[in-house]
Amino acid sequence: MIRLQNVNKNYGGRPALLNVNLHIALGEFAFLVGPSGAGKSTLMRLLYREETPTSGNVFLGGVNLNRLHKGQIPLLRRRMGIIFQDFKLLPSQTVFNNVAYVLRALGVDEREVQKRVEPALAVVGLEHKYNALPSELSGGEQQRVGIARAIVNGPPVLLADEPTGNLDPATSLEIVQLLERISQRGTTVLISTHDQPIVNAMRRRVISLKGGEVVTDMDNGLYELEMQ
Amino acid sequence: MLRTLRIFKRILVETGLGLKASGWSNWLVTSILCVALTIFGGVLQLTMTLKGLVEAWGNQLEISAYLRDGYDPKAVAAEICQFPEVKQVEIVTKEVAWRDMQHTFKVAAINNPLPNTLHIKLSSPDQVETLAPKLRLLNQVENTKYPLKVAKKITDIRHFLELAGIFITGALTAATLTVIGNTIHLVIKAKHREIEILSLMGVGHFYIKCPFVFQGAAYGFMAALMATGILLGVHLYVDPYVKEQLLSLAPFMPQNLQYGLLQTSMMMAALGVLVGAGGSLWTSGRYIKI
Ligand SMILES: Nc1ncnc2c1ncn2[C@@H]1O[C@H](COP(=O)(O)OP(=O)(O)O)[C@@H](O)[C@H]1O
Ligand SMILES: [Mg+2]
Repeated sequence: MIRLQNVNKNYGGRPALLNVNLHIALGEFAFLVGPSGAGKSTLMRLLYREETPTSGNVFLGGVNLNRLHKGQIPLLRRRMGIIFQDFKLLPSQTVFNNVAYVLRALGVDEREVQKRVEPALAVVGLEHKYNALPSELSGGEQQRVGIARAIVNGPPVLLADEPTGNLDPATSLEIVQLLERISQRGTTVLISTHDQPIVNAMRRRVISLKGGEVVTDMDNGLYELEMQ
Repeated sequence: MLRTLRIFKRILVETGLGLKASGWSNWLVTSILCVALTIFGGVLQLTMTLKGLVEAWGNQLEISAYLRDGYDPKAVAAEICQFPEVKQVEIVTKEVAWRDMQHTFKVAAINNPLPNTLHIKLSSPDQVETLAPKLRLLNQVENTKYPLKVAKKITDIRHFLELAGIFITGALTAATLTVIGNTIHLVIKAKHREIEILSLMGVGHFYIKCPFVFQGAAYGFMAALMATGILLGVHLYVDPYVKEQLLSLAPFMPQNLQYGLLQTSMMMAALGVLVGAGGSLWTSGRYIKI
């Protein structure tokens, strides 16, 4: 589903990613770990085509993102869900409208919006908070809204860049477990984090970045700070 | 099809939100653009009217030749008819002219001071400048008069007005573009969250930018509407006075001089929408990046 071939990314001559090779299969669940500045966000931005690599190729579902022209980027992004550390919710819109916002912008009719938003909110356990504003929710609930919005189109890929960065440990674990449940339905999930206890509690695939290089990549892995 | 309509509806809603967020800036932009369009439309109407005036004169162009006393006007008319430029010569004897004048005005009982006059119609108006000097060379002709001098003056004024109009409209358009740029930039800043979300969730840039372009177009449309109102007011209250002035300038006024207000407002709307939408498109292209 996701493949990186000899990917380098420089910012002003300084490498943020160094010769990264990576393959994540369809339906796989993986952590991308590493200290701050390791290149996790950069790798994510390459995947949703916010950035292009300085050299090398990035493939998503067999499509070489280097070959994508500007007009095709929205089509790529409609086939993935992106989850952010800062949630990126609209503060003046209700939970329901936040999830429905993009569907409506795409011209989906109101009955269909209803039909898609309700199950998405049910998956994240917010079926009783349709009319709440983000400011009335806890951090964990706000991130659940972000997740509902990311899955509302039923995308084959979910990218979450430090989704638990603003949450307490207990809530963080709930959010990651929720993402794991979603992946069990066939969605490829990639989570970047530097939250060691969570990664170690899950015992899933761990791809470890340091200084822009992949240093370890293990199934049932641990996030071992000593190695960094 | 329905989907396109729904998208269009949402774009309109977003445009409305943008206008609402702009507050007093709306009025600033619209008034500056309105001034620019009023000057543009006013100059357009004025120059078109003057052009129409000159053309109308051209069609009825005739040279009046005033004859020296002691020559038989019929004989002179026959001679002048030989010139190739001449289409027709009409004789107004001093007696006839005097009687007409006494008929129209109360004139003291003095000796007839008027000359015999020939009204010479030309086959083509642009031959006036070649025929008039030839006529003046004739002994029998004391003087000639033709409206082309006035026409030339009016044409000169028209050219000056056109230049000044282009210059002022251009300057005001540049000012408008700056203000529109600032206004749209502020709206983009205020909506940066929405824009970012839409972009990251795969909504096309056409949809994202459209509300801003529509907002600019709305300014252009509103300004053109206001400018039309101003020009309409000018027609109602200033026109009669101007007509009087023109009448004193020229021997007669052709009918229907007005270059249609409808055409002018359409031109103003076109220019306004072009400037408004163009300025917004440029600004949103500059500040909304993929
Ligand atoms: N837009 C940018 N311009 C310049 N340097 C950047 C930019 N984004 C990231 N970097 C640099 O690239 C490196 C990796 O950053 P990042 O991918 O954000 O790391 P992480 O998400 O793992 O903390 C850092 O050294 C960072 O300073
Ligand atoms: Mg980061």
